Amino acid sequence: MDKRRLANLLSSTTGLALTIAIAFAIVVLLILILSDEPGRAIYYFFIGPFTKAFYFGNMLNQAIPLIFTGLGIAVAFRSSTFNLGGEGQAYAGALVATVILLAMPTAPGIIGIVAAVVGATLIGAFLAGLSGFFNMRWGTQTLISSWLLSAAVILIADYFVTGPLDDPASSMMTTAKIAEQFRFLRIYLPSKLDVSIVFAAALAIGTYFFMQRTHWGYEMRMCGINREFSRYAGIHVGKYLVIPMAISGGFHGLAGSVTLMGTHYRCLKGITMGIGWNGIAVALIAKNNPIAVIPAALFFAYLNEGARAAMLHSDVTVELAKIGQAVIFFLVTAQALYGLYNSRKKKVAA
Amino acid sequence: MAYLEMQGITKLYPTSGVLANDGVDLSVEENEIHAVIGENGAGKSTLMKLLYGLEHPDAGEVRLRGKPVTIKDPLAANRLGIGMVHQHFKLVPDFTVAENVVLASEPTRRGMFIDRQTAIRDVGKVIEEHGFSIDPKTKVQSLTVGQMQQVEIIKMLYRNAELLILDEPTSVLTEQEIERLFETLRNLIERCRTIILITHKLDEVTRMSDRVTVMRGGKVVAVRETKDVDKRELSRLMVGKDILLEVVRGPTAFGDPVLELRDISISIRGQERSILDGVSFQVRAGELVGIAGVGGNGLAEVEDVIGGLRRATSGSILLHGEDVTCLSPGQLRDVGLAYVPADRLRRGASLPTSVRENCIATKHHDFLQTGVLKLKSIRAFTKRLIERFSIDAAEGMRVGNLSGGNIQKMILARELASETDFILFSEPTWGLDVASSQFVYEQMLELRERGAGVLLISSNLDEILGLADTILVMYRGRIVGRLENAEAVSKEVIGEYMLGLRDDTRSEPIAAEVQCG
Repeated sequence: MDKRRLANLLSSTTGLALTIAIAFAIVVLLILILSDEPGRAIYYFFIGPFTKAFYFGNMLNQAIPLIFTGLGIAVAFRSSTFNLGGEGQAYAGALVATVILLAMPTAPGIIGIVAAVVGATLIGAFLAGLSGFFNMRWGTQTLISSWLLSAAVILIADYFVTGPLDDPASSMMTTAKIAEQFRFLRIYLPSKLDVSIVFAAALAIGTYFFMQRTHWGYEMRMCGINREFSRYAGIHVGKYLVIPMAISGGFHGLAGSVTLMGTHYRCLKGITMGIGWNGIAVALIAKNNPIAVIPAALFFAYLNEGARAAMLHSDVTVELAKIGQAVIFFLVTAQALYGLYNSRKKKVAA
Repeated sequence: MAYLEMQGITKLYPTSGVLANDGVDLSVEENEIHAVIGENGAGKSTLMKLLYGLEHPDAGEVRLRGKPVTIKDPLAANRLGIGMVHQHFKLVPDFTVAENVVLASEPTRRGMFIDRQTAIRDVGKVIEEHGFSIDPKTKVQSLTVGQMQQVEIIKMLYRNAELLILDEPTSVLTEQEIERLFETLRNLIERCRTIILITHKLDEVTRMSDRVTVMRGGKVVAVRETKDVDKRELSRLMVGKDILLEVVRGPTAFGDPVLELRDISISIRGQERSILDGVSFQVRAGELVGIAGVGGNGLAEVEDVIGGLRRATSGSILLHGEDVTCLSPGQLRDVGLAYVPADRLRRGASLPTSVRENCIATKHHDFLQTGVLKLKSIRAFTKRLIERFSIDAAEGMRVGNLSGGNIQKMILARELASETDFILFSEPTWGLDVASSQFVYEQMLELRERGAGVLLISSNLDEILGLADTILVMYRGRIVGRLENAEAVSKEVIGEYMLGLRDDTRSEPIAAEVQCG
């Protein structure tokens, strides 16, 4: 039994290590091809994030929204619902938070922040929950509906950011900045790292506890593993097509508002910059374990920041990180899909 | 020399430990209709899968026209002239008849493009030659069930099958369609084909076949010329002799009904025959009611309806006197339902989770303190169940790692822990070894003695005869026999009801449709 567990752990960690090694190898190869000073580029890509407080802090800061979205995806996947609309939910969260904060520029900080966070969470929960509801009611696949809904929401949000809410004083496509008192405290200057990292870590632990120890978490997990059994045992399975989606969407909305109040202070066009999609990769690397989402998010942020450092100190571009992430995303998803395929096959055989 | 000879065919399914075929011999003459009959689990489907290359035998030999052959897969079977028409059709609804027929052996132009014209022409030729009346250009989804079956047959004829295996071909057909199928079969025999007909319907055997092989428990028990046997003898051969269970069923006094089904029917729109057709019965306190029947005659649906997993189209269900027709499984459990399902690996247990999490599934609400599960008392509860039912497992073990018998013990432990006055057992000993089965029987009788109402749904006649006070027999979705279990009742009698040779039913009034809010 313990031996089997050890073997499982070994095979899963070697798989992950191999994935990361392949990604790194491709990054190195690209640098060797593209760069005139590959030694320098490689050094900054891998070591760069640790050389200066600025880089290191920014790396941690980038991990924050990824922790939120990664948790959101992990909760949904654990319950066998699929939220592919994270990008739109996070964007909607950021936009709603912006609207709320711009509407009350003189309110005390804490009230504004709470209002913005609640508003962002609710809009995310609503959007994803809607997909879940459609699934419960008419059996539409959340995988598709959440993605389609999100694609539409992104365009609508773009319209508001570049249209009615556009800040004419800025040359960028963005809304006006939110008032000073709503901005999160930066704790590691000169980097952009803010206090919300503590909140992110706490939420990861809270999510773990929720899934493992509360009866909602239990019912959600049981539904995720075997819906037929759950229905037989008297669990309201329809409910758990909606609730995990709503929680997942809520986390994404939250991620959007935190990026707004912690990093950008205004809603730029496309403020989410892939945190929704990367959340999926983060959750998959973490094997949907809420605690493991933290290191997985940090790793993703590390790739980003490494590419940034390499760009500033050598002649490569920031797209390098995107390629590295894409490789990891590809391999991890393939692995996850393979696992899913295998378990299906086993089920059919049984 | 026989056309097809199978000799000493043995097949063991290692995961479940079931010996599905045990030294089976089958000999089929050229140009005959040979029926293979037996109850569910007798091994006839396995034998055909082996012949069609879907499974591979552990031992034994297959000879075609005297030549030993190995059948690797269905394609190899096709090349040898063996074709199979499955019980559940394997057709693409969006494709036309011609496209379905040529699938996997399409005529092509320049080795690349599908030659539709040739396909339609060739398929049309096969259709015409054999007297079917289907347009090769219609889409399969617009065909009737009977026509879809014809497409399956045409598919095999297109591939030049000389030996056709038909697996329960009439189970989905209406009476007229069955007649049409028989006509087709006669037609095929005239064209020098050989047919193996797998069925458990005696009617078809006596009407259609030349010879019949009877299987029971993975073995061939008899081979007969059809003209030399009658249905009663076949029925006796199929069910076998009575085997006495080693259980003592003491007398109990029956109390008030704990479960009552009134005129329960399930019908599907567009399907002529109801799946359940006016099923009514009671289970009284202290009574063990057994429902017998061959699979596919409504047993599974009775289980689903009582478990709240499927809604009846009409009729009503009373549990402890309360109308529970429209309740969900969770609500039913609150009213007082415990239930051991037939599908224990998918429905009865969650294999990837721990024994602990399985044991609390139906009553985890009892282990809550402000929404948080109390791990300590859950552990203690699970340990108590493991001890009381001597389950060979630890509370943290993955259920998937337990043996079949221990999984069933765990399910039993969980269901009995709710101490309800009604409990449903569906196929509770299917695939279990003797010791585990014995354990299950003892538990059932103990419940009955304690004054609970027990309903046993089983296709195993020995356990029905050994345990039940009242025996109900289902055939084609109806209860065709109601018997007090006494000396005079034997397996033979039940077998005759089960196979549709006897029917005590009178016409029942039609119940109002179920209206759930």
